[in-house]
Amino acid sequence: METRARLLLLSLAVSLLAGCASMRPAPPDEQSAADTAAEEPDSAPPRVIEPEVERRKIKVAKIDADNIELGGNYGFLSIEDFGSNASWGVTAAYHVTEDFFFQGSFGRSRASKTSYEILGGNVQLLTPAERRFTYYSLSLGYNLLPGEVYIGRSLAMNSALYLIGGIGSTKFAGDQRFSLNFGAGYRLLPTDWMAIHIDVQDRVFRTDILGTQKLVNNLGANIGLTFFF
Amino acid sequence: MAGSMAHAADRDDKLQQLFVAEPYLELHEGPGRGYAVTQVVPRGESIDVLYRRTEWFRVRTRRGIEGWASEKAMRKMLLADGSPFEFDLGNRDGFTSHHWELGIAAGDYGGATLIGSRVSYSFNEQLSLELTGSQFLGNASDGYAAELGLAHVYRPDWWVSPLLTLGTGAIWIHPKTTTVNTPDRSDQTAYAGAGVRVYVTRRFFLRGEFRHHLVFTSRDANEEINEWKLELAFFF
Repeated sequence: METRARLLLLSLAVSLLAGCASMRPAPPDEQSAADTAAEEPDSAPPRVIEPEVERRKIKVAKIDADNIELGGNYGFLSIEDFGSNASWGVTAAYHVTEDFFFQGSFGRSRASKTSYEILGGNVQLLTPAERRFTYYSLSLGYNLLPGEVYIGRSLAMNSALYLIGGIGSTKFAGDQRFSLNFGAGYRLLPTDWMAIHIDVQDRVFRTDILGTQKLVNNLGANIGLTFFF
Repeated sequence: MAGSMAHAADRDDKLQQLFVAEPYLELHEGPGRGYAVTQVVPRGESIDVLYRRTEWFRVRTRRGIEGWASEKAMRKMLLADGSPFEFDLGNRDGFTSHHWELGIAAGDYGGATLIGSRVSYSFNEQLSLELTGSQFLGNASDGYAAELGLAHVYRPDWWVSPLLTLGTGAIWIHPKTTTVNTPDRSDQTAYAGAGVRVYVTRRFFLRGEFRHHLVFTSRDANEEINEWKLELAFFF
């Protein structure tokens, strides 16, 4: 009887001790190991570190637009009734689309004598100041035939045949007149920033220099050099 | 020439770097749809943007080859962070909100033929500051006018929108008459006007305008001049 009671007490003591031992908190590393072990069978994805860095915002660089074309030209102008004369001019253009451009131009020439003045001896129709032919025009151009030309074996240049027309004013023989200009030109680009122009334009206006009111045509041909900015 | 080998392809940090997201990027010989395609840049490769001319971009590949890429193709390029490359297009959106306008006009200035030009800067979609330079050529006199004013567009998002203008300037008149020796004169002016602007295509629009000018002469009565004009303009 005594042995049985002793056995009972002993087994109670052992079970209590074991219980206490199991209740003892595990050290931290053991705990996390136990947790991981517990989670593993669930096949959850491994925990990743959430980045707290802001994604760098890419700053878009300013892109240069070189739509402006500036330059000068030299050629001849045939002033109706006053012969063919040397002329010079300056132009400024803005390329709006690949097809169209606006162009402002200013130019000068000086009229020579009419055949009447030459044959008539001492006759002077215009004073030296009135012989100056000055024009400006505001035009719209259209690149009709863009293309490429090949010079020799290794040189290729972009080119374009363009049509141009506009309005402006012409000062000649002491009078300022509204004038229309229209023509065509050829643009050759040895580099992307430089162009050689050859253009022919007619400048038309009404005048009464020689007594009667009439429409005069003044054809001019120029060779020019322009630069893109 | 376009397509020729450029100098060493050392990247310039000031240039915009872009990545090809489409299967390939076509490079043309010149800034126009008619120019031949001579190079292609494969997907994933980067390019540097050198400059822009109208709707075309001059670009350089990593291998140093230069060529022209179209606006349409450039819209599909990506920045280094994967976001799309965005830039202003010459379309209706640009027509609604842009900064600069330039125009050429013809019309009637108090009975004389008018040639005009205008440049304007927009503060916002509706309000802009305008500088107008005109020459008028009449039978009795000719001269110049320069004016600075404000323009207000009623509905910038509309295809056709009315607008109002108000400003001041100066006028220089040169009488042509030879019978009476009338000297040249210059006077201050003020104007109020109304008009309409109509979007045409790409970057182009038309603008019709009426301006009523008051010329502050040194004589007893002020002079009034009516101006009508039609203008072809573009924005950028």
